[in-house]
Formats: sequence, C-alpha cells, structure tokens
Amino acid sequence: MVEITRLPEEARFSFRVAAGGVAAASKAFGVDLPTTIGGMAANGSRRALCLGPDEWQLDAAASERDAVVAAFAGIYADTPHSLVEVTDREFTYQISGEQAEELLTVGVPRDMALVTVGSGTRTLFDTVPAILVREADNRFTLSVWRSFAPHAEELLHIANKEFAAGL
Amino acid sequence: MSAFRIAGKGRVNHSKPVRFTFDGKTVQALDGDTVASALLANGIHLVGRSFKYHRPRGILTAGSEEPNALVGTTRGPGRFEPNTRATMQEVFDGLKTESQNRWPSLTMDIGSVNDRMHKLFSAGFYYKTFMWPRSFWDKVYEPFIRAAAGLGKSPTEEDPDHYASRFHHCDVLIVGGGAAGLAAALTAGRSGASVVLVDEQSELGGSLLSEPSIEIDGKDAWSWLDATVAELSGMANVRIMTRTTAIGYYHQNMVGLCQKLTDHMATPPADAPRERLWRVRAKQVVLAQGASEKPLVFDGNDRPGVMMAGAAQTYLNRFGVTVGRYAAVVTSHDSAWYAAFDLLTAGVKVNAIVDTRAQVDPTLVDSARALGIDVFLSSTVTGTSGRKRVTSMTVAPVTDGKVSGGSHVVACDTVLMCGGWTPNLHLFSHTKGSLIWDDENKVYLPHEKTEECQVAGAGRAVWGIADTLKDGADAGAAAVKSLGKSGAAVTFTVSKDRTGSGETHRELPTDGDPGSARAFIDFQNDVQAKDIRLAVREGMKSIEHVKRYTTNGMATDQGKLSNINGLMIASDALGRDVKQVGLTTFRPPYTPTTFGALAGYHKDGHFEITRKTTIDSWAEEKGAVFEPVALFRRARYFPQGSEDMHAAVNRECKATRTSLGMFDASTLGKIEVVGPDAVEFMNRMYTNPWTKLQPGRCRYGLLLGEDGYIRDDGVIGRLTEDRFHVTTTTGGAPRVLNMMEDYLQTEWPDLKVWLTSTTEQWAVVALNGPNARKLLEPLVEGLDISDEAFPHMSVADCTVGGLPARLFRVSFTGELGFEVNVPARYGLQLWEMLWEAGQQYDICPYGTETMHVLRAEKGYIIIGQDTDGTVTPDDAGISWAIGKAKPDFVGKRSLARPDLVASGRKQLIGLLTVDPKTVLEEGAQIVDDPKQPIPMKMLGHVTSSYWSEALGRSIAMAVVEDGRARDGKSVYIPMPNGVIEATVQASTVFYDPEGARLKL
Repeated sequence: MVEITRLPEEARFSFRVAAGGVAAASKAFGVDLPTTIGGMAANGSRRALCLGPDEWQLDAAASERDAVVAAFAGIYADTPHSLVEVTDREFTYQISGEQAEELLTVGVPRDMALVTVGSGTRTLFDTVPAILVREADNRFTLSVWRSFAPHAEELLHIANKEFAAGL
Repeated sequence: MSAFRIAGKGRVNHSKPVRFTFDGKTVQALDGDTVASALLANGIHLVGRSFKYHRPRGILTAGSEEPNALVGTTRGPGRFEPNTRATMQEVFDGLKTESQNRWPSLTMDIGSVNDRMHKLFSAGFYYKTFMWPRSFWDKVYEPFIRAAAGLGKSPTEEDPDHYASRFHHCDVLIVGGGAAGLAAALTAGRSGASVVLVDEQSELGGSLLSEPSIEIDGKDAWSWLDATVAELSGMANVRIMTRTTAIGYYHQNMVGLCQKLTDHMATPPADAPRERLWRVRAKQVVLAQGASEKPLVFDGNDRPGVMMAGAAQTYLNRFGVTVGRYAAVVTSHDSAWYAAFDLLTAGVKVNAIVDTRAQVDPTLVDSARALGIDVFLSSTVTGTSGRKRVTSMTVAPVTDGKVSGGSHVVACDTVLMCGGWTPNLHLFSHTKGSLIWDDENKVYLPHEKTEECQVAGAGRAVWGIADTLKDGADAGAAAVKSLGKSGAAVTFTVSKDRTGSGETHRELPTDGDPGSARAFIDFQNDVQAKDIRLAVREGMKSIEHVKRYTTNGMATDQGKLSNINGLMIASDALGRDVKQVGLTTFRPPYTPTTFGALAGYHKDGHFEITRKTTIDSWAEEKGAVFEPVALFRRARYFPQGSEDMHAAVNRECKATRTSLGMFDASTLGKIEVVGPDAVEFMNRMYTNPWTKLQPGRCRYGLLLGEDGYIRDDGVIGRLTEDRFHVTTTTGGAPRVLNMMEDYLQTEWPDLKVWLTSTTEQWAVVALNGPNARKLLEPLVEGLDISDEAFPHMSVADCTVGGLPARLFRVSFTGELGFEVNVPARYGLQLWEMLWEAGQQYDICPYGTETMHVLRAEKGYIIIGQDTDGTVTPDDAGISWAIGKAKPDFVGKRSLARPDLVASGRKQLIGLLTVDPKTVLEEGAQIVDDPKQPIPMKMLGHVTSSYWSEALGRSIAMAVVEDGRARDGKSVYIPMPNGVIEATVQASTVFYDPEGARLKL
C-alpha cells in the first residue's frame, strides 16, 4: 500500500522572469534558480522548481510569505518580473511507499524513469493538469488545482486498493 | 475421469478437479482447462447455433480466433457476459456457461428453419429484400433486422466489476510468448533492456505448448520452456504478462494491452479489478504474433466434430483431451499429418488422411501407411454427414482441379482439416505498415514499416521451431541494437523439429452442385464460398466491396480464419491476381474487448471530473439544484419547501432586488496580468482602452477573435500600474488564457508581461442588492467602501471579517454589488460569515438561474448564449466597448470587413411578447410574416427568455436581422401550438435603464 497524504498549505508563488533576471531573482529568493526545465533547488524551507524557460514554482514556509513578496518587490524596478501567489490554487499530495511510482502510472503518462530524484515536471494525472515532483525514489508530491483534487485523490485511493488485492 | 481425457497427459492439473455447468448440466473438468477443452473431454462438440442459419456448430479452434464456440458465461451474480470464446475462458468451480442463438434448446432449435431456407438468405439478402415499400422501413424492416442482428443476449444488470488502467514505458515490448517471442525476450532481457513480454494465453509457450516432442538445447520442449520462463521471470528488467492481449498498435509505438486479471478465478480477491488496460510506450516493439490455421472450404465443413487439425493437436498435448475416437484428416499442409500422428499415438484411430496435393513428402506418406492410415493424395472432400456431430466424410479423386472419379465415404466422428497457416498481421496492419503478397507461400507478409518494430516468426511466415527461435532472437537483437545497446542473438539447437509446407486453395473441387454446397468461409457470420461468387457476379470487384456485401470477415473475429479463403475465391471468380483484389484492413481491437476495460476508472462518481467550489458543500446541504457549467457544477437555484424552479427563481430575484442576495461567483476565470507592459498587452488584447484606467478602478473588457467576433468578456481591475486582475467567463477561462499566451509567445515576445491563472486561488462571493453595503461595511477593515470613496467599478485590498480580501465593487445584476475575493481556503468561512451577518437583511442565496434573469433584465449578454461566435460588438449593441482611438487590438481589422459592416446583419435586441404572460422558448425562430408560405424566411432566433418578477412580465433577447431598425415593430415566433407575436425593443435593457440602482 502507498501512503497518500495531503500536505498543509505553505506559501507558493508562480514566478516569471526573463533570462537576464535570473541572477537577481536568485538573490532575492535566496535560492539559485535552476535553469534546466524540471530542475529543482532548495535552501532551507525555500525551494524553486523550474517549469519552463521563464517559469518557476517557488515554495516557502507560510511564515516567510510576506518576506518573499517584499524581497521581490525590492528588485522589481530593475528586474521586472511577475510574482503571483498561488498557495490556495492547488492541493499538494505526498505519495510515498514502495509502490508509489507504480501507483502514479495509473494516471501519469510520462516515463517515470525520466522523473529523477530531485526533479519535477508538469504532467497530467488522469486528464487533470498536475505538477509532479520526485523527492526520493519512493516519495513524490503531486500538485493539482483545487477543484480537480477530489478527482485525482479519489483515483489514487481506488488504485491503491489494487495493491492490497495483489493484482 | 472424463471419457476423452488421457490420464496424466497435458499441462492440466489432474489432481485438481473443477466443476462448472454448461446449459445447466455439470461438467467435470481439470484445473488448467478452458471451457472448450473441458467440453471436449466430456465428448461435447455441439456448443452453439450459427448466427444466420442456426446450424449446429462445434469447437473449431483452440485459440482466440474461435468463430463458433461462443458461449454466455456467468462468473457470479451480475457477472454475465455473452459471446465469450469457450476456447479462451478458463474453467473454475462455479462457472456457468450456456449455448447461444438457440430456442428452446441447443438440440431443438426453432430458428434452424433458416437453414432449410438458406437459398433465400444469400449474400445481399437484406439489401434486396428490404428495399420497398419505403413506408415499411421504420415499422417492419428495421425492427426485424434489429431483432435478427447480434449474437448472444446483452447483460441486463449493471456491471459490478471495476476496471483498471496503467501507463507503462519500456525499451522492448514483445507481443506473443511463443518460440519467437521467448527467443526475442531472452536476447533483449540478457542485454539489460527493459522488456515487457505479453501473451493472450494463460501461460507462455505458444505452439510449444502443443508440440512437446520437439527438443531444444537438448531438453524436451516443455523442460526448455520451464527453464526459459524461469530465467525470464528472474530478470528484474523483464515483466511478463499472461492473459494479456495487445489489442491495438497506435502512433509512435503506443500499444494498448488488455490484461484479464480475474476472469479465471472462482473467488477473486476483494477490490481486484477484472481487467487492466495498459498503454505501453515502447522504444521497440517485437511482433511475434504467430499464425492462424486456415480452414479448408468444402461442403459440410462446419459440422460439429470438424475442427482445425492444429486445434486437435493442442487439445491432445496441452489439455490431455482427444477430440474423438476415430478421425479423418483433410489437408493441404504437412502440419495436419503430424497432428494425425500425435492423435494416433494417443490411441485415436485415424481412418484416412486426404491431401489435396499430388506430391507430399514421402516420409510422411510412408509413416502414415506404416501406422495403418489410408492415404488419399490429389483428392478432395465433397461433403460430410451427421446432424449434430459429423459421422462421415466423402472423398473423391481430383485431376486438373476437377473431380475425376467415383467418391467413397470415410466413417469418422472427427474431421481434422488444415488449409495451411496465415501469418497474423493484425497489429502490423494497425500501424498502416504496408503488406506484400508472397506468391510462393500464398500469404500476405509485413513489408514497409511505419513504426519502430520488428516482426518475427510465423507472423512473417517463418516456419518450424528452429527457424522461429532464430528469427525471434534476431529480432530481439535488432531491437537491442536500435536501442544503442549491445547484445548478441541467443542461439539454440533444435532437434525433432516438424517444419512443414503446404498449398493454399479456393474452395475444394466437388462433383456436386456448387449452388447447393454448404461450404463455409466465415463461420461466425455464416458466409459461404458461393456468397463470394454471387457478390462477384453482382458486380463487386474490390475485396472491400465483397466484404461488405457478404459480411465476410465482418464478425468479431475480423476474418482471422476467413480472409485468405475469401480472397482466393474472389480472385478466382474475378479472374484477377490476388494482389489486384487486395486485402481488407485490420483495425483495433485485435480481439473483442470489454467496454469496461476501455472505460477504466471512469464510471459512477469518477466518470467525469466534476469541479466544485469551496462553497459547494454548503449549497448541497441547503438543497440546491445544480447544473453543469463547463466542468463545474454550480448551484442553479435554492428551492424552499415544494417550490419549483420558477417559484424559487422569482423569490430569489425579488429578494435580491429588494434587499440582498448572495451568489457563489468562484468559478469565474481569473488571470493575473503582470509586468511593465501589462497595460500595453491589455490594450492589444481587449477592445477597450486601458491606458487611462487608474489603479483601483475596473472596466468591462471585451475580447474578440482575430475574425472580429466576440469571444469572451469580463470585468477587469487594475490593481497597480503593472498588474491587472482579469476575469473571464467560467467556461472561457482556459481558452482565454491559451489565446493570450498564444499571442504573447508568437506575436509579441518582446512584451515584458506574464500571465498566471488565479481562477482557483480565489473564492468569490457576490453580494447584490440595496443592502449590500450595509452588510459589508461593518465587516470591512482597511477600506472606506462608501459610494464616494469606493464608487461603482472599484477594486482594493482590505480585510473582510478578518480575512484577507480583494474587494471589487461591480454588478452583474444592476443592483449595488460587491464581489469579495478571498484565498480559496477561506471561501466557505467567508460565505457562512456573510450568511450569518446577512440574516438581518433576509439575505437570500441565489443560483445561476436567478443570475441569468437579473442580468437579462439589465440586458447584459452571456457569451455563448446571446453570442454564438458570429456576433460582432456592433451586432451585440456594445460598440461603446471599443476603444476607437486605439491603433490596434485583436479583431480590429476584421471589424472593417465588408460583410461585418454591411447592413442586414443580425443584431441583438429586446423582445416583448404582446401577451406579457407568454415566455418565449429560447432557440425559437423568428419570422416577419407568419402567413408566408413554408419554408418561411427566418429572421433570427430567441437567445434569452425569462419571466421577470421585477417587471411582472416576460422578457426576451433575440438576434434579428436588422433588429434595431425594427424598434417598435412586430415579429412573430411560430411554435407547434400557435404563432406568438412580439414587439421589438432596440435596447436590451428592460429594468432601470438609467442605472440609478448601481449608484446607491
């Protein structure tokens, strides 16, 4: 059986900046923003996941939310960018256990072997747009928009029973 | 012990008896049996009636190509399935099976009268018979055809099973676990590649399961098989799936697999899915599908007891079952000789081997004669006898393709036939790979590939175990090489191989009347040789037309047995080369597949995504009636007591207009547009001017397509110089964002602006009504919301009841209105707080229906209801939303197109029925003069129509040709029960045209 847990909200932002602004943004956020799509970097509770050529998902502890907003506001004039809070937009599930990867193949069409530890990717989970992160061999997080979450969560539980049945 | 079971023989478990029922009678079987092998072990050959003629039919094959032995199966309560192939269904204790297409019983079937009238039911019967009179079609012909169509009974109960699905990626997918597939798997597996090996049977082995006497690498076939399966099972990089059919081969090496998980179990584990659909993306595919044995076409080739020689060999060697006591063989291929020898060795008397060929390998002939079998070369079978089981066959000599002498009768209870072997091309054919006719072997072979695949073994007419193993290993090595890995083809030494050869025929020569011969090609659809000839006589030249005229190959087996025979006969009848006649196309699925497997998890509550807002649970508790809006479900109205929709909506409208209504507006699309070029981007996307809009203020935004037609609209707030909060329609949210991104990325990559969907970040509660501010004011902190400080069309951040909020003063009802946005986690909390606090104003929750009425009273359009993708801003009467001074915006050039500025376009107007109580039907057509002859000229149609409680009368909006010029004039709406007269009102605003109520 695989453990499926909804994680509490922290602070999450969608961050967009042109290539020339990565250095300043890294400094403001305190994490070197990875520039390979799928790449992830962290510093303390702050974590950056590169989702596109100019797009990152930034995570921080809830208590650091205002500090993050302020830090980016401070560089806006010289480094124009877009920082939009999306903490409440999505639910994030932690999926862990020996069969976690196999459980995810119920809905993820990507080749899971290419989702390496410490990377993340935009994908689908059974028609639902999702962001999948592999934190360890057998531990993933799956973020889906709030109103899609019940559908995704229900499927995870339905499919999890197949492992109990052994088939 | 069943009468036809040989003790200790085969791969069935002789120490594990199983009991199931067939037509209510208990049948003794062994674990490992199929329904077919168990029935044969008990001497039961008659298992069903044929589709069209209701002829008694038996078991023809031992595989998934079976056209005859289709039975109804019941695997427990609610688990009935028609048309299960008895040759594939494994037995278990408690399984119930029943024969089909017979009434009242299998042995006594009324429908068999069709067989005596068979000359009536020739090819094209339906086309010719049900032509006229035309009036008979609906009441007589179609019901008749529908009643006659379809085999088996549909299940009457809802399927209690559930079905699973998975995605999978691998280096090499090998389809078929016979000799070729196993050799490919060993080669690929040892190279370290990730391998998936699938086979539709319950165990790997393919033809090796039926040929235990062959020796591989010094071991007998089954010992070698055990060792090979053990080696493969021990490889972490190899996944073996049995009972798994590759049903379709799609683009870019995507192969669909249907894995049967529980159909063979008496007591499946709780929560186990019945089947699982796998979508496998393989870098390389090895098709090792093998070949199917082809029937010979002669009179009476469909009687129970007539079966494929290879099937008899399988029943003997794999299941330990003899298919009869005394057999006769008719063949054009060596393989049936070996089958005869195996049967004879097992104690079955073989009375005769009839071979159509003049020259047969002398060692075979000598062996047969030495075993006491009568051999007839250059001969034909002209008929069989026996009603529910064959009792004899008639043999005659042939010279130059014609019967050339007297016939004689061979007594037998089983006829084993073999017309050669047809490579299974189905999956290759799915890829649209081209086929090539091999004139020497008389088979179609895979030719030019369109996908990354290898074809190995009998599937490309490589015969004999030695050559097949080598071919499979080579295919495995080729796949490995394509992956950039190294791995030599595994080699094998094979002895006692029984490679054969043979000839391919059209129907066998006969001395009887060919028009009376019942020589079947397609057993499942009851198509005979003479039907093909008739089709050709009646003008069908292409095999595609012959197929459709005769239904040859159109049954669920897709002509696995019949295609080549039909083709040979058509080619002969047309006097044209086989190549010119062509081959019909195979399509997925390879074998019949349940809808359950295809639907997977998408059933019941999980059938389709239902998006819900954070306030949905409250609405449900309050008994709201919901309606789907895009993927969302939204509360449509909140009935109280016995109220119907109209009563509830009237009450909700009145409460909102007189005091206060609350509405869940969370589903509206939201996009945050941020960056130094945000205002420039907005100017280019929307028709409206944005430059002068001050931060903290809102504006109605209108979005056109490049064609100038209205695509979407919504209120847009400017939060700061560089940040806009855009709202879209509920259904339009994804496509508006996509359209914006499309322009941004392809047309204006230079703009420094970025878009983020915030639809689900915010929960939104709309408060409307004269008491809206009174409710909100005491709850708001950090903002003065008086009319002077926070006028209509304002936006600001504040807190509402302590919750962080983005507050809009906007209105879609014409009343004083606010929309409170809070982070979604607080949505329900906000709603309940406002609900509690609003009790003093008799706050009324309202749904989408009331929202529609209130906005229609104000003449506000709804995209997709009052517009249909062909409506311009001028058509909709909202040209005021166009920034005339702007140099450009999406759609601007199109608005000057001649047809968009021409007169006579349909314009959105208001309609008031002459009888104020009459509510028009939305979609109803509008005409000028109801007395004009039919067909009348339609001027347009009603787009929105409601009862207006505030006005005490009905109101409607409509798009009407030159609508505004018709102000005050009458138009007519013809309906089934009379014509309705209505008066055009150029303005769509019905209520509070001055907008005074907004300014409270």
